[in-house]
Amino acid sequence: MASVTLSRISKRYQEATVLREISLEIADREFMILVGPSGCGKSTLLRMIAGLEDITEGEILIDGKIVNHLAPRDREIAMVFQDYALYPHMTVAENMSFGLRLRSVAKSEIDRRVEEAAGILQIKNLLKRTPRQLSGGQRQRVAIGRAIVRKPKAFLFDEPLSNLDAKLREEMRIEIAKLHQRLGATIIYVTHDQVEAMTLGSRMAVMNGGIIQQVGTPAEAFSRPANHFVAGFIGSPTMNFIAGALEGGTFKSPDLGFPLPGARAAGPVILGVRPEGICVDKSDGASLSEPVPAVIEVVELLGYKRNLYLKAGDKRLLATVDASFGGKPGDTVSMRFQIAGIHLFDQETKARIG
Amino acid sequence: MAEDRERVVLALAAHRRRRTAQAVLIHAALIAACLICIYPLLRMISVSLRPGDRLISTDLSLIPAGATAASYLNVFKQTNFLLWLWNSLVITCVTSFIGVSLAATGGYAFSRFKFPGHKLGLTLLLGTQMIPAGMLLLPLFLMIMRLGLINTYLGMIVAYSVTSLPFSIWILKGYYDTIPRSLEEAALVDGTSRFGAFYRIVLPLSTPALSIAFLFNFTQAWNEYLVARVVLCDAQRYTWTLGLFELQGQYLTQWGMFAAGSFMVTVPVLLIFLYSSKWLISGLTLGGVKG
Repeated sequence: MASVTLSRISKRYQEATVLREISLEIADREFMILVGPSGCGKSTLLRMIAGLEDITEGEILIDGKIVNHLAPRDREIAMVFQDYALYPHMTVAENMSFGLRLRSVAKSEIDRRVEEAAGILQIKNLLKRTPRQLSGGQRQRVAIGRAIVRKPKAFLFDEPLSNLDAKLREEMRIEIAKLHQRLGATIIYVTHDQVEAMTLGSRMAVMNGGIIQQVGTPAEAFSRPANHFVAGFIGSPTMNFIAGALEGGTFKSPDLGFPLPGARAAGPVILGVRPEGICVDKSDGASLSEPVPAVIEVVELLGYKRNLYLKAGDKRLLATVDASFGGKPGDTVSMRFQIAGIHLFDQETKARIG
Repeated sequence: MAEDRERVVLALAAHRRRRTAQAVLIHAALIAACLICIYPLLRMISVSLRPGDRLISTDLSLIPAGATAASYLNVFKQTNFLLWLWNSLVITCVTSFIGVSLAATGGYAFSRFKFPGHKLGLTLLLGTQMIPAGMLLLPLFLMIMRLGLINTYLGMIVAYSVTSLPFSIWILKGYYDTIPRSLEEAALVDGTSRFGAFYRIVLPLSTPALSIAFLFNFTQAWNEYLVARVVLCDAQRYTWTLGLFELQGQYLTQWGMFAAGSFMVTVPVLLIFLYSSKWLISGLTLGGVKG
C-alpha cells in the first residue's frame, strides 16, 4: 500500500478549466472519498490518478514517486469502474486473473490469489461463468475481485455502486467497508452519494466547480462545514438557509429575526440550520433561540421521524421532529433554533464565519 | 355469460385465422424470393450436367436426361482451370487478410482518436463508395502501371484491398463505437498497452464485424472481373473470372464447361459463408458492462 499526493493539479480542455489547483494528501491505508455533484471534476481527478487522463498542470505522486508520465499499467493501481467494465469474452476467473497473466505471474500464484479474492467476495461458485450470466451485484463483486488480486498500491473506485438498486447498494457499501478493514488498503473513492461519503470514508474531499471546498472527516464536514456549498451538500435533508443581517447581536431577515447572543460578526450573512436544529414542540435541554411563529404546510411521516414543511413569513423551512409530534397542516407553531446548530456564512464569500 | 364466452371464443378464433393468413402470406413471399435467388444456381448446375448435344434445350428439369459429369472433367482437361483457381485464391486470400488488417486498425483509429481530418477522412471514405467502378478503372490502371505492377499478383492485391477498404473501415468503426471505452481503460489499468487493449479486448469482441469485413473483401476479390481484365494480360496470371470468360467464343461457347466451372467457383464462397455464419452472431459484448 502507498500514499497518494496530489500537488496543484489542474485540468483544462481547450478553454474550459475542469480542475483548478487541486492539492490533496491521501495517507497510506486511508479511505479517501471524493464527493460532489455531477460535473464537479471528481471522476476526472480519479482518472488522472489512474493515468487515463492527461494532467495539464501539477504533479501526482504515488508512494513518493512522480507518476505524471507513467502509463496506467506502470502506476500499480487498480480501478473499479462505474459500469464494471468486465471483459465479456472471458470467464469470471479469466477476468480476475487478466492483470496477473499480463505480468507473467506463476500459474499457481494466480490460482491462489483468484481463489482467495473469490473467497473474500463470496463468488467462488461463479468463477467459470461469463459476465453476461451474472446479476448486477455479482458483476460488481467480480470487478472488485479483479482489483483485489492485483495487490495494487492503491484502489480507485469510480462511483461503483451507482448502478445498483437501493438494497444491493446498502449491502455492497457494507462489504466495501469490511474490505477496507480487512485489506488495510489505500482507497480513493468517488461518489455523489453522501450516504456513501459519510459512512465509508476516513476523510472526504468535498468538490464543486473543479475546486476542493473542504477536506476533513465526515463528522467535521457535517458539523463544521467550511462554506455555504458544503453546508448545503452534506446532510440529508438539506440544511435550511436564511439570508439576513447581523446587527448588534441580533439576526434579522425580512421574514424572521431573533437575538444571537454569541455572534461576533456583523453585516450581511447567510444563516444555516439543519432540519434537526429546529425545535417546534418542547425543548430537549439544548440552548434555544427565542421562539419564531411559523405555519405548518405539509407533514411527512418517515417512521421514526416527521418532516415538517414550515412557513415563517414568506420563508419556507424544513424541520425534522419526533414521530410523536401531533401538529397538523395549518397549525401555527413556535419554532426555536438550537444555538449550537446555527452556522453563519458570509453573503459575499460564502465562507464560514461562525 | 355463456353468450359472452362464445363471443370471446369466436373473436379469438377470427384473430387466430388472421394471424395464420398473415403468416402464410409472409412465408409465400419469402419462399418466392428464395426460389428467384436459387433458380439461376440450379439452372447452372442443370446446364453443367447436360450432355454436349442438349445445351440449348428448353428442358426445365434439374437433373437432365442423360446427366453426365463430362463438362466437369473437360474443364480440368481442356483448360487451365486449376491455375486460374490458384491465381484467384492467392489474390483473394492476401487481399482479404490485408484488407481486414488495415480496416481493423484504421477503423479503430477513426472510432477512438480525435485527429485533424477525422470527419473529412470519414466523409471522403464514404464518398469513394459513390463513384461507379467503371470510372475508377482508368485511374486505377494508370496508378498500377506507374507502380510497375501490371500483370502481377501484387497489382491486383493493391487494387482490390484499397477499393474494399472504405466499406470495411466504416463497418468496423461503427462496430467499435458500440464497444464501451471503459473495457479498454480497465485493460490499460490492468496492465496492457494501448495496442494490447485493442488486440486482447477490442478485436476478440469484434468478430461479427470482422467476419462481415472479411466476407465482403473475399467475395469482392473472388468475383471481380473488370479490374482483372485491365491489370492482367498474361494468361498465366488469369483469375478464374478471366479464364472462364475465355471459354466464350465468337462462334462457339462451351456452355457446359462454363457452367461447370462457374458452379465449382461458387463452392468456396458458399463454404466460407456457412463457416463464418457462427461468427456473425452478434451480442458478444452483452454483459460486460452494466446494461
